Amino acid sequence: MSTQNEFREEPGCEVEQDDPARSEAQIAAGQRAAVAPNSSTYGSDDAALKIGVYICRCGGNISDVVDVEQVAETVKLIPGVATAKVHTFVCSDPGQHTISDDILKENLDRVVVASCSPFLHEQTFRGAVARGGLNPYLYEHVNIREQASWAHKHDPAGATSKAIRMIAAAIGKLRHAVPLEQIKLPNHRRALVIGGGIAGLKAASDLAARGIRVLLVEKSGELGGHLNERGRVYPSEQDAAKLVAELAQRVNRDARIEVRLSSQIKAVSGFIGNFKVQVESESALPSEVTAGAIIVATGFRCYQPQENEFLYRMDPCVLTLPDFIQLMRSTPDSARHLTVNGRAVNNIAFLHCVGSRQLDGVHEPQTDGRLNTYCSRTCCTTILQQALAVRRRFNKTGVYSFYQDIRTYGRGEENYYIEASKAGVVFFRYNGEEPPKAEATPREHARRGALSITVKDTLTWNEELTVPVDLLVLGTGMIPGDIADLIEQMKLATGEDGFLQEVHPKLRPVEVAVNGVLLAGTAQGPMNIQETLSAAGAAAAKAAAMFAKEEVELNPFVAEVDQDACCGEAQCVTQCVYEGALRLVTREVNGELVERAEVNAGLCVGCGACVAVCPQRAIQLNGWRLDQFDAMVDGIADGVPGQNCAQELVQIG
Amino acid sequence: MNTKISSDFKPDAVVVGGGIAGLQSALDMADQDLKVLVVERNASIGGHMIALSKVFPTLDCASCITTPKMSAAAHHENIQILTNTEVQAIESGDGVHRVKLLQKPTYVNFDKCIGCRLCEYACDTEFRDRFEEGLGAVRAIAVPFTNAIPQKAVLDAEHCLTCGTCARVCPTDAIEFDQKPRRLTIETQAVIVASGFELNSVTLKPQYNAARSQNVIAPMTLERLLAPHGPYGRVLRPSDGKIPGSVAFVQCAGSRDESIGVSYCSRVCCMYAIKQAMLLSGALPLADITIYYMDIRAFGKGYEQFFQNAKAMGINFVRGKVARIDPLQGGDLRLHVETTEDAENPMQERVHDLVVLAQGMIPGWNPAQISPVACATDGFVATPSLTAPTATTAPGIFTAGTAAGPKDIVDTIAEAGAAAMQACQYLYQKREAALVG
Repeated sequence: MSTQNEFREEPGCEVEQDDPARSEAQIAAGQRAAVAPNSSTYGSDDAALKIGVYICRCGGNISDVVDVEQVAETVKLIPGVATAKVHTFVCSDPGQHTISDDILKENLDRVVVASCSPFLHEQTFRGAVARGGLNPYLYEHVNIREQASWAHKHDPAGATSKAIRMIAAAIGKLRHAVPLEQIKLPNHRRALVIGGGIAGLKAASDLAARGIRVLLVEKSGELGGHLNERGRVYPSEQDAAKLVAELAQRVNRDARIEVRLSSQIKAVSGFIGNFKVQVESESALPSEVTAGAIIVATGFRCYQPQENEFLYRMDPCVLTLPDFIQLMRSTPDSARHLTVNGRAVNNIAFLHCVGSRQLDGVHEPQTDGRLNTYCSRTCCTTILQQALAVRRRFNKTGVYSFYQDIRTYGRGEENYYIEASKAGVVFFRYNGEEPPKAEATPREHARRGALSITVKDTLTWNEELTVPVDLLVLGTGMIPGDIADLIEQMKLATGEDGFLQEVHPKLRPVEVAVNGVLLAGTAQGPMNIQETLSAAGAAAAKAAAMFAKEEVELNPFVAEVDQDACCGEAQCVTQCVYEGALRLVTREVNGELVERAEVNAGLCVGCGACVAVCPQRAIQLNGWRLDQFDAMVDGIADGVPGQNCAQELVQIG
Repeated sequence: MNTKISSDFKPDAVVVGGGIAGLQSALDMADQDLKVLVVERNASIGGHMIALSKVFPTLDCASCITTPKMSAAAHHENIQILTNTEVQAIESGDGVHRVKLLQKPTYVNFDKCIGCRLCEYACDTEFRDRFEEGLGAVRAIAVPFTNAIPQKAVLDAEHCLTCGTCARVCPTDAIEFDQKPRRLTIETQAVIVASGFELNSVTLKPQYNAARSQNVIAPMTLERLLAPHGPYGRVLRPSDGKIPGSVAFVQCAGSRDESIGVSYCSRVCCMYAIKQAMLLSGALPLADITIYYMDIRAFGKGYEQFFQNAKAMGINFVRGKVARIDPLQGGDLRLHVETTEDAENPMQERVHDLVVLAQGMIPGWNPAQISPVACATDGFVATPSLTAPTATTAPGIFTAGTAAGPKDIVDTIAEAGAAAMQACQYLYQKREAALVG
């Protein structure tokens, strides 16, 4: 058996000289050693292992800084490395083929890919490894892009050396790796949809139409959400009520959907395939329901301007956009003008971006200290839709739009801008740093208008203009829903904007970090109706795909208790922050009843808090065992034997 | 993949287009245990996205996002892919769609080709590489690009001199000069039209003089110049290889302009211009970068912050319409700009080394005459349903992505999921009805 010292002193590839018969025995020995906690830092089976290392150029993202050829040449010297190859895009199909082919042809038994973040491609390469017939957990992913080439852009030599060390660490870790199997758990074929706005309705009806049972929970007494308060939807100009009615009817008629109105989520526990949710209803006793997946479709709130923001609540002639839509809807067709505060409205100002696109130093932060720096996406078109409607209904009413950028981006939306311009809507463009000012007109001038709006108009070379109006409509946008409890219960993440955060906007756009929880609609950020319906459909598609399998498959990186070593001290249980993931159970050992820790693999997230506190080292994380950490540290410290890395390390500092 | 498909193959759904929309909808259907055929007219799947450098607003490298989806589709047991294949017609009746396909000859037997590229290395004939927007050269027989799927050589009959070198070096005798186009009809229950977009021509507005100057370029050209694995590996201007010191982006050069018949907004140009400006200022720290715009439409999640970051980085945003671009001797360009912000000097002339014209998105394929799918007045696939935005006018045919109007990648991917869901429930309900009936 070689020792750690021998490994250091005798570098080079002895792989080929080894007796194959001995090698097999050594693999077995190595695997046993890996299972046993506290095994020596370096396995004795280096010669037996056949590790393939694949180094990605990532186009040039990596190879422009890291000398990938040198990395390949150097890591070949690490005992156990059978092949080290460089590829332009290892994630591409030919790159992946190389891996699976090498596994088959060269009998590789461990694989390392040094490329981008594991967040992007760990799953990709596990797939390639599995296609080669190797256990996908005999694979290590090394991030030499974010952590080497991008972090040390101006130090190519240092980045190269770091990449080598990181790969050496991964190889060390792999020496102690054992094959793992995905955790399979029963899949409860029912979805919980939280929120009965159009996103929730669409997701529920899509899933039910696919044969999946749904429980839809809505906190208010009716379905449809904000859409109940809108008149016509753009660009079809159909009645919003019709859209809501169509979706609600589909939901109410489908026997597979149970709707609970005036109900709220009180507690969420469990995991993908088997969530337990406490639902409290006004009309019924609280009950626990089981669902395999949860779709969060809790929507948005309308921005409420702060006290005195553009005279809001100070002057009755200032309304928000939703209020204005109500005014338009409640004004009879026979009316010859709009009426506000008992006065005929002869001139209206629409002010865009109120509560959106806020700038530091210009706008007052919200009560939570946050600025709404984002664009609310829907207000420009809604304003122009309303502006056009005013001009068409009351052709004597002057309409003025104060904007920064007109964002009529969607299909059919630009027409509102074109038509509004043709219909005589007058546009003033302000710079975000100098928003217009609204003032109540002194009584003696009130005949011209109750309010005056002053703007530095960048369409006329920053001329300062004052426009008297009878009504100011604040183009208020969207803010995140009031779902702090739900965020807490479900451990959801929010972005800087306060909306729920997806895992990745392109790779996993409707998923969150918690498996089995999906996002639909404006809970995730501002969207228009069509985008909301599409997002809901996308969330339903992911849920339906999940339900297509009999069982839920999870990564095996969970804690495992060595029942022989555990003394039942329960320090791990105390430390565990994931409710239900660890508990004490009573077992019979040698005729005695003793307490032992037990892991619930569905709830354990593999954080390792338990591992750190166990005095017996009786609890370990599969895939991240303590001996693997030791080996990684050695790999980083030693780099490649014979390459005089210790000196470099000092230089890198 | 690819050649084994015969007329007997009856997928549950056919996806027209192997770009990001088509791949995502194929994956979302296949994950629900449906058999899907993806038909792609080009030699590789991946669409426009695979040719991009990085993508906004995360600045992820585009290949890093696209290749896993390409690869996942290629390896999915429920997905078959046909490249070099055009949809010539979709005939619908009795709830069945007969999709008529034309498989174009590649002159390479894909069953035999192992993607070794020996033919490519041996070929003497080179021509401008369309994948590199004409900036690089490609051999007359070649694997389409580094991360193409499938990794099979394709022979370009237009440029091939039929010298036979490739056939002599091919270790598997895969070259077949006598290949003929092949017609086949696939019967299916559902279709997703994900045929994507094209860009209108940079020469559309003669006053911008793109026909007269190589340095008035298309945004996709700049994408390739910025891509780390692009034609030059760095940003050089096409006419003389000069490192540009001053770059202008002219926005709405092919959209929001009734004079060229595109009155709509192409929805992505503001953001990609900002992204390219950011990448340029990374690649060329000394360069002046100016974006001439009408409105900055940074509407998506994280987009406004991206725009504000660009301003903070020192990228110049000038609100004004560029009236004319004059090529100067030596390759520089003089822009005549009308700004509304500079009272002293509203009509300006500014000289730049390189100008990027924001082209407009136009439909990539017109299904109107050859299938029951209707298009709207903007030329994109019509989606009349209020509650199902991915449903077309034809039952059982759905649409996703830019086939139904300009869209960014994030919105395309969401819509692809929605279209897949719509198709899956359509198929499920048909089966349920058949069981009941």
